[in-house]
Amino acid sequence: MRAPVFAFAGPRQYALTALAAAGIFVLPIVLDDPFFILVLQSLAYLFIVALGLDILVGWTGQISLGHAGLYAVGAYTTALTSTKLGLPFWLSAPLGILLAAAFGALLALPSLRAKGPYLAMVTIAFGFMAEVTANRWSLTGGPMGIMSIPGPTLPNGREMTATEYFWLIGAVALACQLLAINLFRSRIGRTLLALQASEVAAETVGINVYRYKVLAFVLSSVCAGIGGVFFAHQNGYINSDSFVFAFSVSTLTSVLMGGSGTVFGPLVGSVILNLIPTVFASLREYQLYVYGAIMLVTIIFLPRGIVGSLRQLRAFQRFRRTPQMATPDSAALDFARKPMGDGAVLAVRRLCRSFGGIRALDNVDLAIKPGTVHGLIGPNGSGKSTFVNVVSGIYRSTAGRIELGGTVLLRLAPHHMAQKGITRTFQSIRLFTELSALDNVMVGFHLHLKAGFFANLFQTRHAVDEETAFRRKAMALLEFVGLSDRAFDRAQNLSYGQQRLLEIARALAVRPALLMLDEPAAGVNPTELQELARIIRKIKNAGVTLLIIEHHMELIMGVSDVISVLDFGQKIAEGDAAEIQRDAKVIEAYLGAPAISKAAEFHA
Amino acid sequence: MEAIGVKLWQALVSGLSVGSIYALIAEGYYITFITTGALNFGQGEFLMIGALFGLTCYITLGFPYAVAIFGAVLLTSLMGIGLERIAIRPVMRHALSLSWVLSTVAVSIILKNAAVQLWGPEQIKFPSPFGAGVVHIGSAGIFPQELFIIVAAIGTVIALQVFLKRAVLGKALMAVAFNRNAAAVMGINVKRMVVLAFVLSSALAGIGGVLVAPITFAWAYMGTVPGIKAFAAAIFGGLENPIGILIGGLVIGLLEQVFGIINSNIKEGITFLTVLLILAIRPSGLMGRKEIKKV
Repeated sequence: MRAPVFAFAGPRQYALTALAAAGIFVLPIVLDDPFFILVLQSLAYLFIVALGLDILVGWTGQISLGHAGLYAVGAYTTALTSTKLGLPFWLSAPLGILLAAAFGALLALPSLRAKGPYLAMVTIAFGFMAEVTANRWSLTGGPMGIMSIPGPTLPNGREMTATEYFWLIGAVALACQLLAINLFRSRIGRTLLALQASEVAAETVGINVYRYKVLAFVLSSVCAGIGGVFFAHQNGYINSDSFVFAFSVSTLTSVLMGGSGTVFGPLVGSVILNLIPTVFASLREYQLYVYGAIMLVTIIFLPRGIVGSLRQLRAFQRFRRTPQMATPDSAALDFARKPMGDGAVLAVRRLCRSFGGIRALDNVDLAIKPGTVHGLIGPNGSGKSTFVNVVSGIYRSTAGRIELGGTVLLRLAPHHMAQKGITRTFQSIRLFTELSALDNVMVGFHLHLKAGFFANLFQTRHAVDEETAFRRKAMALLEFVGLSDRAFDRAQNLSYGQQRLLEIARALAVRPALLMLDEPAAGVNPTELQELARIIRKIKNAGVTLLIIEHHMELIMGVSDVISVLDFGQKIAEGDAAEIQRDAKVIEAYLGAPAISKAAEFHA
Repeated sequence: MEAIGVKLWQALVSGLSVGSIYALIAEGYYITFITTGALNFGQGEFLMIGALFGLTCYITLGFPYAVAIFGAVLLTSLMGIGLERIAIRPVMRHALSLSWVLSTVAVSIILKNAAVQLWGPEQIKFPSPFGAGVVHIGSAGIFPQELFIIVAAIGTVIALQVFLKRAVLGKALMAVAFNRNAAAVMGINVKRMVVLAFVLSSALAGIGGVLVAPITFAWAYMGTVPGIKAFAAAIFGGLENPIGILIGGLVIGLLEQVFGIINSNIKEGITFLTVLLILAIRPSGLMGRKEIKKV
């Protein structure tokens, strides 16, 4: 019987959890010194903050240098509501966490557009505004801060002892760690890792990137809020000095030091970093040297952090979780969506897209019949890729309309296009490089996985069963493209041709009504090419409609039912392979006008 | 009414002088960002070292102010070489794009500690070479040092641009910024250009320190806030646009001083509020390039 919450329950996880719980229980009793218990409390809640930051930094690939602000929101909210409104601890604490989460959601707003240093600035600005506000506002007590914050109480009103308070913080920390492991290894963590690797690719399989970024910010802020709440009631006194830029920096340092994007990195990093001041307390004026030097040395020599680097050591390999095998379940595969009437799957009318003054697409009409392979060719710069980018929602059309099975799709975002049934592969491969081949396909199933956030967080029966079923489907898809023996290899370790096939498998997982392959044969060797042609025919036979852009004429002529030719953004010809090969305009577009007259002479 | 006018005049001059210091530091962010994609989050501490070392040259050793500036520039330039070697080069290979943030912050923490040990933790007065008196322009009293800062800082920013556009070395650096590989193929020593970028960046901070110290104080903790506000200025204008950065610095300096007349609480927050607003409208700064998604 599997207990809830313990997602990947094996004896090891139960044993580790029991050990941690025992440790939390015993430590304050054994150490039994007010100072040490205080240090333990701080370690525990600072760890929670670091864990939250890792969700943002390590999982999602965002940066925050403003976590002090979120930590402050938690601390001030609980401090104010408990001193001014007299709310008990168990009411004021959740309020603090809630408000921190709300601010996190707010902070996420600019994160979709601002990137890199610009996003860093957004978070820095937020942190400073929080500090300045706390320091200047009369409500937050100005520079004096808030004094005599009541200590934490039990539900019956009795104040907790320091040991009891540590037990509480330790238990919450343990719960956070367990739930974080669940999330990290569930669909949620996988989705966040995917959008870190490639936002565009994530969108084309139907992931609403923005929503997931907001989720990451909110989760991260909840953790920061928890930390702030515990801090306020531990100290009994807060002022703005505790919520400075340096706090944000040190939290980020602890995450990177431990190893971002690893399950135990934040724990290791925050314990080590936060122990430095205690351990080196005797050094006094040299303390910052030590702190700075340790920071510098770990960042330079352990780029993946302590846990990340240890994991790469051979001796530690055997502690790795062996991947859960899954037998392919081909019977459960249903490739295409239900056919949508007899008309065209995709009907594009007078589609235009301009870049500045250049018309990359100029009144293109195109209709793709259901169950066919439609080839799209044309010289370089003729607008083929732009066509795919517009139809998949990555670029917005300047004019014209796109219909899918009779429904008009008006300027939808890529993840909406995927919902409607249009997905694609990329000319320059965009896989989720750090994820396994199997997980890449699992991300492709995004739109079909129904278990929600909390089901994944607590690993309910529903979520686990669904995951297992879809893993078998994913294996079947890998088998379909001939990659089942590479299922547990990282995508980046596959050969170029295999990566192209994996992209196709991932796109098939979307169950597309229309699958667009953007130069699937580019960089593929001759043996793999034959395999590719075979797979394209298999996909067609499975009932999926395909649009293929390709320069490789043998392939495109061989697999296409209909071929359209673009030149300078306009459609210049359409027909089957034989017709296209005879078409004078097509020959002119590819070889130039003189070639035609020469060819004419030759034939004459 | 008269009083407001006077205050406004003073705020204008102070704003421009503080703003031009922000711009000066921020141009340092620009030059390393375009060449390496990294920047020195410890620019503020380099400014602080420049100020304190300048003070030592000027007061303790009794050299002229110009020599103090030169000394500060020399020292911070050397520190720039060291920074590139210790905190940038080893981490730029890393997959994680954030490493440089923390490695440069680590260096800045060490510098702060060193400054406390060498110069003590107190604020030290840095006498202005132009005297402590005020010049009266109309009814507004203005420190001549402030005027000097505006001229010197903006002059330096312009000189830097001329160097980058006209000098062979500057053009080589810009080539690396445009396309590292192409520049390498053309025989430009990319590594050396990266070092040069960090030297220039650090030197700018050093100059800024000696310029600003006479209107603030010189002390170990003087750098952090200007360093971050200069980063805000760079982001405001657009990290890859030197003109935008100059404007960003001046605008932020002016906003701070002008709003400071109304309310000192607003003064502290206005910089960050402005940057947040600008980023909400233009996610890569006022004059930053609009990103086109390449697929």
